[in-house]
Amino acid sequence: MFCIAAFIVLVFMAAVSARYRRYLGKAWNCTLRRVTFRPCDTTFKQDIKDHLLAPLAVRRPGLVGPASVALEVVALLVVLTTVWSAYVVVKSGVNLYVYGTCNKQDSASCSLGAEACSIPDQTPTFGESLLSGDVIGAFGNDFASLGETFSAIPSRMQNWDAEEYLPANASYLAAYDAKKETALEVIDPGCTYCLQLFNNIEEAGFDDRMNLTYIAYPIASADGYKFENSLLVTQYLEALRLNPLEGAETPVDWEILRRIYTEDNDKGVSWQSVINGAEPASATALLQDWSAEFGLSPEQVASVASVAASDEVADIIATNTQLVEERIHTVKIPSIIFDGRRHDGLVSVGDLD
Amino acid sequence: MIGKELKDMKHTGLFRRSAPVAVETGRLADFAYLQPGAVYLDSACQSLRPQPVLDALTEYYTEYNACGGRVKYAWGTRVDREVQDARTAVLDLLGLSGRSHAVSFTLNTTFGLNLLLQQLPQGRFGRVVTSHIEHNSVFLPTMTAATRLGVPRLVLDRAPDGALVYQPAQLERAVVVVNVASNIDGRLLTNLTDLVRDTHARGGIVILDAAQAMAHERTLLAKTEADALCFSAHKMYGASLGVVVAAHDLLGSLELTFVGGGMVADVREDSFDLLTNDPGALLEPGLQAWGEIIALRRAIEWVGTVRPDGRPAAEHIQGLSQRLFEGLSDIPGLTLVNSEASPVISLYAPKQDSHRLAVFLSQSQIMVRSGYFCAHHYLKEQLGLPPLLRFSLGLHSTTADIDQAAQALARLMKGLS
Repeated sequence: MFCIAAFIVLVFMAAVSARYRRYLGKAWNCTLRRVTFRPCDTTFKQDIKDHLLAPLAVRRPGLVGPASVALEVVALLVVLTTVWSAYVVVKSGVNLYVYGTCNKQDSASCSLGAEACSIPDQTPTFGESLLSGDVIGAFGNDFASLGETFSAIPSRMQNWDAEEYLPANASYLAAYDAKKETALEVIDPGCTYCLQLFNNIEEAGFDDRMNLTYIAYPIASADGYKFENSLLVTQYLEALRLNPLEGAETPVDWEILRRIYTEDNDKGVSWQSVINGAEPASATALLQDWSAEFGLSPEQVASVASVAASDEVADIIATNTQLVEERIHTVKIPSIIFDGRRHDGLVSVGDLD
Repeated sequence: MIGKELKDMKHTGLFRRSAPVAVETGRLADFAYLQPGAVYLDSACQSLRPQPVLDALTEYYTEYNACGGRVKYAWGTRVDREVQDARTAVLDLLGLSGRSHAVSFTLNTTFGLNLLLQQLPQGRFGRVVTSHIEHNSVFLPTMTAATRLGVPRLVLDRAPDGALVYQPAQLERAVVVVNVASNIDGRLLTNLTDLVRDTHARGGIVILDAAQAMAHERTLLAKTEADALCFSAHKMYGASLGVVVAAHDLLGSLELTFVGGGMVADVREDSFDLLTNDPGALLEPGLQAWGEIIALRRAIEWVGTVRPDGRPAAEHIQGLSQRLFEGLSDIPGLTLVNSEASPVISLYAPKQDSHRLAVFLSQSQIMVRSGYFCAHHYLKEQLGLPPLLRFSLGLHSTTADIDQAAQALARLMKGLS
């Protein structure tokens, strides 16, 4: 163990100082023997230990024994932490490639990927499992998660076509044009990064060049939904899609999304914030007022409200959830499929251009 | 024999010894360059060079840096004179005559022994004889020489006093190769004269490894009738250089396979003529280490004239040896391989790793050797000992050095136990 630790330390020291490079070969030979279950070169191990202990031996020779044991313990810790670090680096790298985030369980916490609202993984983290005494579960869940990520690599490399993932009753921001490519957003009405993406889309004129549609995906949390009224808004959006307003230049569901994402109330507070913080009854009232404003008759508003609470909409939302989690396989909201790729998280104006 | 040797090893700390004899405390001025605090106790590997030797080397490299033996200009002729003086000095040191013996220079003792052993004539010898306590420089070439000559190899014991234990019949047409002084415990080949006489009486030859003897134990070698001896200048205060002193008869009988410039009188397409008037050149193919050869003469002069504290060098070393032996004997937990004082003292601590002790001592600027000192067969295979710690003295050593080393080791042993 000691020579493996020495090799690890020497790799870093040799990178900055030629003085240590001469020892690197010896350490590698020793490490190679160790990892192939052959006896290590004890001379090298002893040399390193003796040189480390020599200053202590001159001053307090009585402490050499305990210090020697301590060195072995430190060596063990160095190896364990290095192995674990290497594992985390590989895991993070693969996650970053596959999901656009180095932390699959909490994608928003990874600064290497694009900004996004994370879809929380309800599986206990490694630390949580350890704290609860579930050692096997800690490793099992972690390895299972890594295995899942590896199995998702082929899907990351595939050519993404939004047409293959369209939800039922897809509505388009602009009138559908068969000559244009289709782009599909996965959004949560309450997610602030979805708001920013919508603004980027409009600024880039992306919606003019693409047949832009969406899947409304209310992000679940341990005790409901990440944004309290996202499910309610999603239900209304799906109900409006089921009952499109004839003659409307822009579908009413898109008008509502545009309002949530781009407009403020008379106090200068964005409607998204207002909705996120509102009681369900107030939010419902707002959605109904907006529906009427965008052209629905009182009867149609009442009908939409009824459909929004129906099993049909519930089934549509469940189907869409399955589509997002099992086929599109994203852990970041928003995600948008266009140009043969799945873009996870917020996409800049430049990338949309 | 081995059991007795192990039993005879001195376990220290059992008895208090009398106070060490009083000897000098100052360092010879010729080693004034040594940094304060540095305690070099590995002279058995190579001795420190006194200032006159360093000066001789510098003088050669800065004033007449020329090849020898092949040029006519002034620098070269001076080199030739100096080299010839060095050969003479070596012979004089041993009390030998240039009419019967020649001096050749090479890399080191090992190389010198190989030059002789690997070129011995086929069919003349019936066996190769050596002893268990030999350095690998003897032990290994005797194996390959026996194989090459197609004869058996006999490995004999050495008595505690260093004498080779043999029956005269074992020397029949033998090539006897043994050390004069052990690099483990300094024991001497006390029956050298008898060995040479008995070997010659049975048609054999004696080749000596004098590496450890030349610095401080040359008395045994005075006017030796051995057929050849090899030693290293760097173990006797000279620069890095090997020396072979061999009888003309032996040199003339060699089947030379290692040949080159500097040893031939004439060369044709398919043959050559060796020099006839310079037997020593037969072992000197190619250019030599001229500066080192010249420095050897200065080292010989220095060893012959230096009088530390007004006393002969040998007497001085003897006093230091006694002090070192007694100082180390007083440290509990050590087992000394030596049964008596010697400039070379080896020991081990059964509960401590010798390499570790050497590293720890090095932290205090005390330089001692650890390991098997190229005597693996004897120490490791035959005696079954762990790696040892070796202290070896030189004329640069002082009583302060010895006391400092002994105190440091004692403190370590106490703290580590």
